[in-house]
Amino acid sequence: MDKVPITISVNGESHKALVKPSTTLLDFLREHLFLTGTKKGCNTGECGACTVILDGRVVNSCLILAVDANGSQVITVEGLGDAEHPHPLQKAFVEHGAIQCGYCSPGMLISSKALLDRNPNPSEAEIKMTLAGNLCRCGGYLKIIEAIRSVAKT
Amino acid sequence: MEEVYHIIGKKVPRVDALSKAMGDLKYVSDLYLPGILVGKVLRSPLPHGKILHIDIFKAVRLPGVKAIITAEDTPQRKFCMNPAWANNMILQGEKVRYVGDQVAAVAAIDEDIATEAISLIKVDYEPLPAVFDPEEAMKPGAPKIHQEENNIALHSVRNFGDVEQGFREADTICEGTFYSPAIAHCCLEPRGCVAYYDLSGKLSVWSTTQTPHPLREELSEVLGIPQNKISVFQAPMGGAFGARMGMDPIDGIAAVLSMKSGRPVKVVNTREEEFLSSRIRYPMRVWIKSGAKGNGRLIAREIKVVTDNGAYNHEGQYIMGNAGSKLAQLYAVPNIRYDGFLVYTNNVYGGAFRGYGNPQITYAMEIQLDQIAEALHMDPAVIRMINANKPNSVTASGCKIGSCGLTECIKTVAESSKWEGKKRAKKEEQFSPRRGIGMACMIHGGSGVKFFWGKDCNFSSAIVKINTDGSIDLLTGSAELGQGSNTTLAMIVAEILGVSLSSMNIINGDTDTTPACLGAWGSRQTFSAGNAVRYAALEARKMLFEVASELLEAPIQDLQARDGNIFVSGTPTKYVTVKQAAAESWRNRGNPIIGKGVNVDPWSIQPDLKTGYGNVSSAYAFAAQAAEVEVDTETGFVNVINFWCGHDVGKAINPLGVECQIEGGVVSMGLGYALMENLILEGGKVQNANFADYKIPTMLDSCQVKTYFIESMDEHGPFGAKGVGEPAMIPSAAAVANAIYDAVGVWVTELPITPEKLLKAIKEKQTSER
Repeated sequence: MDKVPITISVNGESHKALVKPSTTLLDFLREHLFLTGTKKGCNTGECGACTVILDGRVVNSCLILAVDANGSQVITVEGLGDAEHPHPLQKAFVEHGAIQCGYCSPGMLISSKALLDRNPNPSEAEIKMTLAGNLCRCGGYLKIIEAIRSVAKT
Repeated sequence: MEEVYHIIGKKVPRVDALSKAMGDLKYVSDLYLPGILVGKVLRSPLPHGKILHIDIFKAVRLPGVKAIITAEDTPQRKFCMNPAWANNMILQGEKVRYVGDQVAAVAAIDEDIATEAISLIKVDYEPLPAVFDPEEAMKPGAPKIHQEENNIALHSVRNFGDVEQGFREADTICEGTFYSPAIAHCCLEPRGCVAYYDLSGKLSVWSTTQTPHPLREELSEVLGIPQNKISVFQAPMGGAFGARMGMDPIDGIAAVLSMKSGRPVKVVNTREEEFLSSRIRYPMRVWIKSGAKGNGRLIAREIKVVTDNGAYNHEGQYIMGNAGSKLAQLYAVPNIRYDGFLVYTNNVYGGAFRGYGNPQITYAMEIQLDQIAEALHMDPAVIRMINANKPNSVTASGCKIGSCGLTECIKTVAESSKWEGKKRAKKEEQFSPRRGIGMACMIHGGSGVKFFWGKDCNFSSAIVKINTDGSIDLLTGSAELGQGSNTTLAMIVAEILGVSLSSMNIINGDTDTTPACLGAWGSRQTFSAGNAVRYAALEARKMLFEVASELLEAPIQDLQARDGNIFVSGTPTKYVTVKQAAAESWRNRGNPIIGKGVNVDPWSIQPDLKTGYGNVSSAYAFAAQAAEVEVDTETGFVNVINFWCGHDVGKAINPLGVECQIEGGVVSMGLGYALMENLILEGGKVQNANFADYKIPTMLDSCQVKTYFIESMDEHGPFGAKGVGEPAMIPSAAAVANAIYDAVGVWVTELPITPEKLLKAIKEKQTSER
């Protein structure tokens, strides 16, 4: 099938590419841009490991076709902070022990950032409701909630 | 006087956390090499069938396909963690034995082409009669799955004491049957492997393995390549929980695809493949009978277990041994009989999964103990304290219990949960939801066990090198699965050498550079690898001190290491830096500082193969957990509100890491095991091979978890530490079940405790009371 030209801004940088129409936004990020921070856990929109922010909306990037994201702005975990200046959520996740194997962490962080952007001081119930689509098998979620609340308070 | 440590016992963020938070750390699935191909596996749609013919004519002609392999392209050597039980192959040539069995594989330039090529391979099968229920499969005349005489892969009997006499002396006896279903590990990262067989004949493998050194042995055996031509790298991975112990066929498949194509090949399971063809927790049906004296002392226990081995041997034989041993270990019971059958079926085959047979048995044992307590009108916490093992005792099965804080675990949990008051609280019969509280305990090896690979084999080794700038290379063959072992091991080295964690370069799970270690299983990394790095660090420190002693003109025994300095005790101003001493040794004495440590684990032995008697672990971990639940009697829905977890961890090297393990064990796994998870197989085919239909706990299912460390300071553990990885989830399901009983007066003996099952049990109880 013929490839299609797309232009997508990722973490503030514009990328032009030719992609198959079937390429998902997740595969575009990982295999075209080598932004492997966004993880593939199920590829069916059920685990949340591939969560990114697309034009201000939180989405599972495995369920979005790259061609449908043409002209859009995407934020991935790599865009949250840099080595000298990690995002406060990234620092809090580290300090509170909210990370174990770390495979869910990029998606958790993106979902948390979007939540705090929308509501800087969410209740525990709101945190749980918002992050219920991000699965974690190692850590039991409690330290993640703690980390988010520590940032929300400040 | 308690020793004052500078880092041991402090809550330390894990060393790899920031690179994980930044999305920078590269997992197996993130690895790309120039020319890398995508590998895909053709899996059997039948539970049992003869392979008559495989036609690759169309597939091989699809542009972009670089290699197609069937059994003929492999050495067709059988494998298993224990070669004596080997009956699996990386690709099946004659028969398929479960839905998901691997038949052929393709490497192509991209995933779409690889997937299309797989669909173009035509396999003619002759379907064979299949059997899915292990109790059916045991019967004479059942379809035979392997060449062996029948489908019984193992039948073992253990007798300690005189169980008949024990039951005769008992004042009360309970018996019942419990069932634990197939459970999927659900590691967030699917299993994957990148293999590259280069022109020099070297095979490099990056695998999601928790046993890098044993994996190299297995690959060598199955591929017929010498071990020095194979490099296994344990890449960072998204969870393992036992699933990545031992070789998976895709490790071998990726290697053969690379050998055939001459290019690097990446094979990563889809989520569906994870559910269809990854290991599972062995399903067990457990009949158990316990007898106690009127004062609550358990006097006899008998158990019969039938375990579904699935289609191939992997770890079932060992799991049976471990499961059976718990009967004789958790409490001081003098008379024991265990009778276990491990049976082949045409279902997906099992493997290690957090607890290694122990969660299944603990569910049965700990519910039954509550039933006995009720029969004797005793408090469940009290009967546990009466029977709890004591330090420095020997069980009927020959286990030498050294450090043991089980009684303190029970007391702590009872006090912190306000147990007595809650147990006394009168239940309002009409009120829904109804609250209840329940408790369960566990014992588990806290040092690994001695029954794999050989008769005396539970070792780890490590090397500590100190560079001329004072920075440190820590080489360990252990595996970091996400559990935090690298941080724990680095903390041990940092404590001994008096240096910071940031001075450490941790190299782990790389068979080219790290000394041999059996890997991460059996909750053994803290104890076993911990001791190895401790010995290595002590040897390096001895060399440093010898140099410093001369430089400072002070006796070695007066030296201490802290804050990057080596100083004379009591005179902190008289010091040399670690950097100065290391550089001096390297530059002016030609003696670079290298410490080697091997923990051969001399305190345990492989139990006698016939009787099962012997001290299988060097240390034992204990825990008591209490759960508080609310049960909606109209819907059967269980809301878990609180968990109190008392864990005898010996010594918490990194309390933050231990909390993470316990919270994760209880919430992310324990609650799922108790209330939700069941891999549904019909006709051998998994019916719920996705996260929409196979539910695991989400953040909405989380509950409050309070953790309490009982530090029993094990005499053999590094700084007194014992393992905690598996113990975290072992008693959780039984605690929930007992709490539900406290709330509504029914036990659901078949896991998971779904609303349907619980509602049915509540209705039956109401009907029988009318």
